[in-house]
Amino acid sequence: MNWSFVLSNAITLACIYGTLAIGISLTWSSLGLVNMAFGFIFALSGYGAWLASLNISAQPAVVMAAGILTGALGGLIVCLLAFIPIHDKPNFPLRALIATLAISLIGNQALLWYFGPRAKSLPKLFGNWNADIFGVIVTSDKLGASVSAIVLLTLILLWMRSSRRGLEIRAMMMNPHAASIVGIGVRRTGFYVMALTGSLAGLASVLLAQTYYVAPFSGITPMVKGLSIALVGGLGSVPGAVIGAVIIGLNEALTSTLLGGQYVLITQFLLIILVLLVRPRGIAGLLDKAREA
Amino acid sequence: MSDVARNAVLDVRGLSAGWGPLRVIHDLDLTVFPGERIGLVGLNGHGKSTLFQAIAGLTGWQRGSILLNGFEVGRTRSQGPGRYTHQIVRRGLALIPQGDEIFHGLTVEEHLDSGAYTRRAWKERATRKQRILQIFPPLTKLMAIPVGRLSGGERRMVAIGRGLMADADLFLVDEPSLGLAPKIGKSVVDALMAVELGSSAMVIAEQNLGLLEGRVDRIIGMHAGKLKGEASASKSLMGGHR
Repeated sequence: MNWSFVLSNAITLACIYGTLAIGISLTWSSLGLVNMAFGFIFALSGYGAWLASLNISAQPAVVMAAGILTGALGGLIVCLLAFIPIHDKPNFPLRALIATLAISLIGNQALLWYFGPRAKSLPKLFGNWNADIFGVIVTSDKLGASVSAIVLLTLILLWMRSSRRGLEIRAMMMNPHAASIVGIGVRRTGFYVMALTGSLAGLASVLLAQTYYVAPFSGITPMVKGLSIALVGGLGSVPGAVIGAVIIGLNEALTSTLLGGQYVLITQFLLIILVLLVRPRGIAGLLDKAREA
Repeated sequence: MSDVARNAVLDVRGLSAGWGPLRVIHDLDLTVFPGERIGLVGLNGHGKSTLFQAIAGLTGWQRGSILLNGFEVGRTRSQGPGRYTHQIVRRGLALIPQGDEIFHGLTVEEHLDSGAYTRRAWKERATRKQRILQIFPPLTKLMAIPVGRLSGGERRMVAIGRGLMADADLFLVDEPSLGLAPKIGKSVVDALMAVELGSSAMVIAEQNLGLLEGRVDRIIGMHAGKLKGEASASKSLMGGHR
């Protein structure tokens, strides 16, 4: 039993899934849209990064930027197809759920048709070396994935705290009705949010492809994990999503070491059910200091 | 457009509005001129709030003409409440809604910032916040506190302050004293009366006629979705009722 190995795995997974969960959580709370096409954006940006590594340059920065930009583009496509036309129609959340699910199914089949079923692998972004942190041996890809996810997430959260657009997005997360009263355009903010969350999916895709591969359906499992973390954390809460990601990442690393990889989803959903039984609003219910409405 | 309407801040003609099968506003006409402070009085459920929401494009459906600074902002709409609200707001409307409609997790300061939606207002937001703090001194100590933790009266000050941050030409204030202790409600209305309007106009919907009596330029009564009776000398209206 190597605890440092379990811990480093847990942290890496937490960083990657947390990135996805924050993306899903932001979309839901600001636009009222559960983005089922997140897995498709994830896979699409993996292919974007792969194409860039073949055609432009295999430099880490280029590959990562290509993944993030493709993700942002994918987010904009989903926004154009599934948010702009229907966001003020009756029953929008359900319609959006179906629309994004349709985009996900069509998109994944299109990727399968165009790129074929064989998995592609991205170049190693972070080299091949080991670091020794307080006696814990960490491989370069895990360290690189954790650090870049944390850096980018911190940048985005700082931007949301300090900029005017961030203020608009946060205002819309808390009260969309009041947001329109103070002159915040729902559709324009929708573009920002979808591009932002799409780029988060792109980042997660490039990072996860360091361990796994890029394949047409590679986005489904990460999306399910991201969505369940967002639920555990309490939809709409960024700190909740971070804590949820740590819990789920720890669970995944522990289960796969102690019981075996095939039990990961079972323990994960048992854990989620347990958390939601005790705390129906997720972990965020514990953190929220402000009264609602 | 008539000559009268040309320099009006707001000119409403033949407005009907409502929710689903319910028609709340019936063929209503209203003209508001620059510099006016108008009281809109009427009982609960007679359409004061719906009139404000129709002007902001927030009702379920509406038809009729609404000219804001000469721009047509009323449309015949059957759905999509709020779809055009931000555009109407950018034309110079500040709606201070009933029940405050606050962002419970944002701090007081962020709230005031969010009200400064025009480019100029955003640049001048520091000086404007100072102005709001002069109107509502109790907010000075609360600037860094999330609004969800404030009391009802403090929230109302924040909501009104947010509305006053912009360079609006038309302020629509919906029931500023609703749900507040009489003393606090009165101080909120006093603050609204102290706002210098310049060339903009303010319409205050209020059930408590006594709070507005003698302090506004016109008082308009509202009954069953129509405007009923108007008094420029508001005291005569009070006299008629007693």
